Amino acid sequence: MTRTRGEHVLLWGGILLAVGGSLFPFLWLVSTSLKSPIYVEAIPPTWWPDGSLVFYRNVLFEHRLFDYMINSAIVAGSTTGLALLVATPAAYALARLRLPGTAWILRGLLCVAMFPQIVIAGPVWRMLERLGGLNTHWGLVLPYVALTLPLAVWILATFFNDLPRELEEAASIDGCTTGQTLMYVMLPLAVPGLFTAAILTFIYAWNEFFFALLILTDPAKHTLPVGIALFQGEFTMPWGEIAAASVLATLPLIVVVLLFQRGIIGGLSAGAIKG
Amino acid sequence: MASLRLEHISKMFGRTTVLDDISLHAADGEFVVLLGPSGCGKSTLLRIIAGLEQQTSGTVRIGEEIVDALPPRERDIAMVFQQYALYPHLTVRENLAFGLKMRKEPPAVIEARLAEVAKLLEIEDLLDRKPKELSGGQRQRVAMGRAIVRKPKLFLFDEPLSNLDARLRASMRVELKKLHRRLQATIVYVTHDQVEAMTLGDTIVILDQGRIQQIGAPEQIYQEPSNPFVASFIGSPPMNLIEGQIRCVEEGFEFRAGNFVLGLPLRSGEASRLDGKPAILGIRPEDIALSAPPTPSVERPATIDLIENLGADCLVYLIVDGQRLIARASSVPPQQAGETCTVFMSFSKFHVFIDGRRIA
Repeated sequence: MTRTRGEHVLLWGGILLAVGGSLFPFLWLVSTSLKSPIYVEAIPPTWWPDGSLVFYRNVLFEHRLFDYMINSAIVAGSTTGLALLVATPAAYALARLRLPGTAWILRGLLCVAMFPQIVIAGPVWRMLERLGGLNTHWGLVLPYVALTLPLAVWILATFFNDLPRELEEAASIDGCTTGQTLMYVMLPLAVPGLFTAAILTFIYAWNEFFFALLILTDPAKHTLPVGIALFQGEFTMPWGEIAAASVLATLPLIVVVLLFQRGIIGGLSAGAIKG
Repeated sequence: MASLRLEHISKMFGRTTVLDDISLHAADGEFVVLLGPSGCGKSTLLRIIAGLEQQTSGTVRIGEEIVDALPPRERDIAMVFQQYALYPHLTVRENLAFGLKMRKEPPAVIEARLAEVAKLLEIEDLLDRKPKELSGGQRQRVAMGRAIVRKPKLFLFDEPLSNLDARLRASMRVELKKLHRRLQATIVYVTHDQVEAMTLGDTIVILDQGRIQQIGAPEQIYQEPSNPFVASFIGSPPMNLIEGQIRCVEEGFEFRAGNFVLGLPLRSGEASRLDGKPAILGIRPEDIALSAPPTPSVERPATIDLIENLGADCLVYLIVDGQRLIARASSVPPQQAGETCTVFMSFSKFHVFIDGRRIA
């Protein structure tokens, strides 16, 4: 198909708009983080930063960004691990058991995932209070796992569904129990799905703000989003520090996503075409 | 190796009967082919033998043991799937070894068996490849290797050649035959391809609509089909089947379908029972000749409708007394389409079916 000149302009204009629109805030953030304090709120704004690292020094050594990062890593890591541990067998069962109602269970899961957080915030807080989970990392991991499970189960169930049943039958004839079939045949083939579910869960837990603010009040336990949000004082808005901290908080995610990019793209487009 | 015995196997899916009272026996070392059109239940029967599907009633015995309650992994069988079902994430070597590892065979034994099977199937140089790097024929070999390497009691093949192109299918068929002779294995083989069935099977089991239509050696199935379904299903082009009536006449019996009338070689003792009965007369295309055969035969004038030259032989589409018949001739007849000729039909090769059963 050949495109006219006008179509070309539209196409590239659209692409630039989409990419630019989503990248601009982040680039502005990066630019701000690399400016000297006097240029941050300068009018007219300077587009190109002067390359000062003072904000980075501030957030790393004066604020406790490093601690926040470790907290976030613990919470997001545990959430991801636990969610996958529970979601994998659940998804396998839902995808493969010939029971009536599996479709409804999956739909039900999706409904649960749609509850607004504010609705369950109160009950979750009370439960954690009873359990002694307030101000602990596991107290945050628990609701995170519950909230990310539906998505993880959906992604993995889609994946298991797409794998040919004959493989499981071959495995069962070859001497595998159901568990061994899952372990040695199905899981290795569902790796892209596992990556996708893991990344999305990890990103959710890494970025989540509301429950983190609610459950962890001890500054030593704060996760990144809460920690960064609390940079601002009553009368001050330390834009430069917030920008630098945000860039640092985003870096690990970018690294992880780039590392697993191929697997994730395979995962997100699962079922679109026959593999 | 072991024998296989099915006793009164039935299978219902909901209220649909897929298999109806199937009983059959495969002796130790026998090659049994389950043949039938798609949807006849042959694959379901194979899956019941494997334990992948549970029968509604009846018993499966492998050797002397009743295996109904055993999961597939405890039945000691191997299965070759239509889509091969090789583990895509494992190399050929790992695919072959998988079943042995799961059964906790010592590594030395695994190595030895692997080498043996790789040599037998000539896949030694493919061992380190992944299934996706193999051609269809190579995958087929590996799938067979995965079955052979386990030395199971029973081999099950589910249309294993149907995904190969015609030439490859023919050569794999020959290899399978040799392989069976060499392994002396008990094999149950499902196919809808009559050529595979005729060439491979010691015994052919013909299934239709969940019922066994006939069990017999290939020769017998071809020469003495027990009902019109088997008669039309085996043979290419299929047997000519003419619907008509049996009549008692002075000289014995005749078969009548409109203007088409033929004397029948029936014994006269059956006279009173058969007179006036609707019947189906079957004549194989190769039993209709355009020149006089040495055996006693009937002559009829015929019009040639069409001639199909297949190279080795040719098919002549005829109209004989208003009936359309196909004849197979060894050479192209001198007449053209539209012209008339004389056809000869051998008495001894008539098949007569009454009430869906063969009587001659």
